[in-house]
Amino acid sequence: MSAVAAKPAAGGAINWTAMAVGVVMFLILMGICYYFYPTGLMPLLLIVVGGVMIGFGVHFVPVGGAPAAMGQAPGIATGVAMLAAGGGLAGLFGGAWAAAAGQDALVVVITGGIGGGLMMAITCMMVNFVYVFGMGIPAASGKVANDPITGDSQAEFKSQGTEGHGLPFVSFVGGVIGGLFAGAGGTLIYLELLEVYKAALPGVMQITAAQVLPIAISAAGMFAVGMFLVNAVLTAYNITGTIEGPHDPKFKRWPRSVVASAVASALCGLVAILIVAL
Amino acid sequence: MEHIVFGIGITALTGALATVAGAAEDTESNIGSQGDPNSQVQLAPQMGFLHRIFNKAVAGEPPAYGLWCCLGAGFAWAFMAMQFNAVLAIVLGSVLAVFVQGVYATTAYVGRTASLSKFGQPVYVDILKSMTTVTMAHAFIAIFATVTICYLINTALGHPFPLPLLGLIWGIALGAAGSATGNPYYGKERQYQNQKFGAGVPISASGNIVRYAEAGERNSLDNGWFTAKIGGSASGICFGLIVFLELWRTILFEQIAAGWGAIVVGVLIILVFTVIDRYIEVWARKNYGPYTEAKEASS
Repeated sequence: MSAVAAKPAAGGAINWTAMAVGVVMFLILMGICYYFYPTGLMPLLLIVVGGVMIGFGVHFVPVGGAPAAMGQAPGIATGVAMLAAGGGLAGLFGGAWAAAAGQDALVVVITGGIGGGLMMAITCMMVNFVYVFGMGIPAASGKVANDPITGDSQAEFKSQGTEGHGLPFVSFVGGVIGGLFAGAGGTLIYLELLEVYKAALPGVMQITAAQVLPIAISAAGMFAVGMFLVNAVLTAYNITGTIEGPHDPKFKRWPRSVVASAVASALCGLVAILIVAL
Repeated sequence: MEHIVFGIGITALTGALATVAGAAEDTESNIGSQGDPNSQVQLAPQMGFLHRIFNKAVAGEPPAYGLWCCLGAGFAWAFMAMQFNAVLAIVLGSVLAVFVQGVYATTAYVGRTASLSKFGQPVYVDILKSMTTVTMAHAFIAIFATVTICYLINTALGHPFPLPLLGLIWGIALGAAGSATGNPYYGKERQYQNQKFGAGVPISASGNIVRYAEAGERNSLDNGWFTAKIGGSASGICFGLIVFLELWRTILFEQIAAGWGAIVVGVLIILVFTVIDRYIEVWARKNYGPYTEAKEASS
């Protein structure tokens, strides 16, 4: 057993009963959707996929919280949910724009992902810029002896009395991957809700498709932002505080978050769909 | 062609506005101690270090700026619907949002500081009077610039989202970029100016923030002056780059190959920043060197 695995794992243990309950709740919610609004089942499934992508992607984002602001721990000095929301919503912005330009759904989702990845790449680069040129502190991980990507040794670059600081290269890459997942997931949710609203609202409100478009875009955008925050905050609870990125032992907790995100997204998505179906 | 040139002009303008917004946001949050370094401002009296630092954190910067920019954009949108001139509407919307920020800052400072009364930390009325207005002024610049960006994106560039939703999205992104870039500089470099330069703050030093200035006790205006030089400008560059490059790649390359052009350019930009980041990391390792010999390093 490695030193990492020997640590108390209460926070990271997977409760299989709870996971099974989560899966059953997910199936019940899908069943409710099928019963009340069968055509909404496929969009709801894709909304859940989008939510799961957000939940999974947030685990990649290196978040150091308050200790990172004092150079006491590696990562970006802000909250998990907030940073992911910043990156993911920048992606949603780009994806929604591409959707309005009439691009293919795949292009729209990838555009959203790239928007999130771009925001995270710039932010992560500027974090290292401030650490190195503003504070004279090199990047060092506290969780691994060598950077898994570059192989750089880390321990001797940690200053005394800290757990590391800055963003080692693996954390930078994790941040970009997290932004890609979060941006793509948020855009997928938006796109599916937009399709549902565009199809259902003209009949519900007795107006033309052209008149309904601004309402559909606004409603889908608001629900996408809301569901984004739901999934990001859920994942923040799973991470409990800080995470360095994909090399952090806490990353292994992602299965719990995926199930939780699926249930939460199914419930939120069901509400978002049923407001036009009932 | 004319449409693209117009788009590039608007993109450049939004990039410049975003740079101003990022710098003002970080300076505002540092004067108010709103970011993660706030943990030390809150902790210091509990460790016996009473201080005169403003302390208005209740929410993190991203949700706070999401609220204020959404409010500013929402009010501006309502004024424009009442046939107000766009510039006047944005100014009035931002002013109203800043009043909300002022109420928030006042109640947060009084509430958070009062919770420290058992440790002997006083609520300084002069600090409340002098700091709140300064944070409001900086917040106005950040909110006004962000709402203007949203208005330009919506009206001139034709983004489908309504103004308040754009305000929420870019307000959260502004807070995320500003707190990520600016917080370490305020937290480590200013609050712990008594610690060694070029090293993180030892965990054992937590709470022992610098409380005295060149003359008298340090207050948050001193912190805003100090962090505006690097933390504020770096935050401005960060948010400016995000807004500019996101719009630039869309305006110029969205129509190429049915949207794939913007995707390819986005990937290339990400790769460029990856190379820059790696260069900075290696530069620091070579020029600053390790703190200890590699074989002696442990845990």
